[in-house]
Amino acid sequence: MDVVPKKPNPPYGPKDVQLEDLEGQRKNFSFPVAFDIEHSGGSVGNGLEEGQIGGPKPGHYPIGLLFDLLASSSALPWNITVHFKSFPEKDLLHCPSKDAIEAHFMSCVKEADALKHKSQVINEMQKKDHKQLWMGLQNDRFDQFWAINRKLMEYPAEENGFRFIPFRIYQTTTERPFIQKLFRPVAADGQLHTLGDLLKEVCPSAVAPEDGEKKNQVMIHGIEPMLETPLQWLSEHLSYPDNFLHISIIPQPTD
Amino acid sequence: MEEDEFFGEKTFQRFCAEFIKHSRQIGDGWEWRTSKDCSEGYMCKTYFQIKPGTVVSHLGTSAHVQTCLPTEEALELPLDDFEVTETTTGSEVIKYEYHVLYSCSYQVPVLYFRASFLDGRPLALKDIWEGIHECYKTQMLQEPWDTITQQEHPILGQPFFVLHPCKTNEFMTPVLKNSQKINRSINYITSWLSVVGPVVGLNLPLSYARTASQDE
Repeated sequence: MDVVPKKPNPPYGPKDVQLEDLEGQRKNFSFPVAFDIEHSGGSVGNGLEEGQIGGPKPGHYPIGLLFDLLASSSALPWNITVHFKSFPEKDLLHCPSKDAIEAHFMSCVKEADALKHKSQVINEMQKKDHKQLWMGLQNDRFDQFWAINRKLMEYPAEENGFRFIPFRIYQTTTERPFIQKLFRPVAADGQLHTLGDLLKEVCPSAVAPEDGEKKNQVMIHGIEPMLETPLQWLSEHLSYPDNFLHISIIPQPTD
Repeated sequence: MEEDEFFGEKTFQRFCAEFIKHSRQIGDGWEWRTSKDCSEGYMCKTYFQIKPGTVVSHLGTSAHVQTCLPTEEALELPLDDFEVTETTTGSEVIKYEYHVLYSCSYQVPVLYFRASFLDGRPLALKDIWEGIHECYKTQMLQEPWDTITQQEHPILGQPFFVLHPCKTNEFMTPVLKNSQKINRSINYITSWLSVVGPVVGLNLPLSYARTASQDE
């Protein structure tokens, strides 16, 4: 499988990021099979290393997220091994049908809206709107998808953003699959919270101390947004199709 | 972070503690577990059930059948559940696990569950449904994926089936309103679990209700 993410400069304004490209390439879920990831390393310049990273990885994670988390410093194309037999039932979500994938996707979208709008927007939509969201994603139809998704990205004029930001932070070093907590995009004094604020609050080990060395990369869609980027903006523009910000914290590559 | 709703995480933990207290009194098997970093906790209960002559949907050709018909044709035998059950499966012990976690997204409790054989082989959802009371089956079968999805356990990372929490507020609100009206406090967890538990084969002894209404 060739995965070629585009890597624009860290974004601030929408024009710097080719969102359609990002979504087109990285949004696909790696369903319907599980895979152990054997990758060819080489970032250190010690020649190629091969080995397995951790255990089998969840096929319901968006493939872009898996790439950021596991292979972002590898040479491209990213070689993965796909196993069709001996599915690790105990460790991974099974994917018995397309309906199950759709249900999983929709349950993520609903959860995101519960956080953003107390589920008001998603509940006001008809079933056909939910279907359109899924079909737009399945068929790579950007316009079809966004016709519905833009409603999920709106917020009342009197607010400065969503109620809470849907996000999940992934690290390969922890047993817990991800960190997810309640976090508001706007502080009590009306200031917009930034990505840095979020990390300091929910994952302080990820952020380097003021004068310390940068130990980690904070990645979304293969890029490292500046920590000063407002979280509300990130949520509106860099969320995955399931409306969550999937953030990877990976060790800084040592080259 | 902020608990401006009725049912925040601290409230959840308090009701769970009361629930577990009664569980210990009657030996119902519920325990409290915390995540490694101790920031969160959940209730869990494990029990074992012997299912005589289980029909298992993913059982392939068995060793017994192969020794009976030691030819290549044995491998191509169509799966005949009845025959396999009669001759090979016998009784199987099934381990059921139920976890009650708090969802900060929906600000309600959520029921996670899974079932497996003793050797670790998980049961498919289809097999778990066979243990469900008839009256719930119709609704489940019509829209199974709306109500139950398979998700990663947020703390353990392993796949569990989850009863989707998006309708919880809908059925709990009248219960809460009524309890306020008649001025009798309830244990949210007890009331909620008594509604959702039976749907997935988990029953609560009545004594929980008597205890809940006594704790004023």
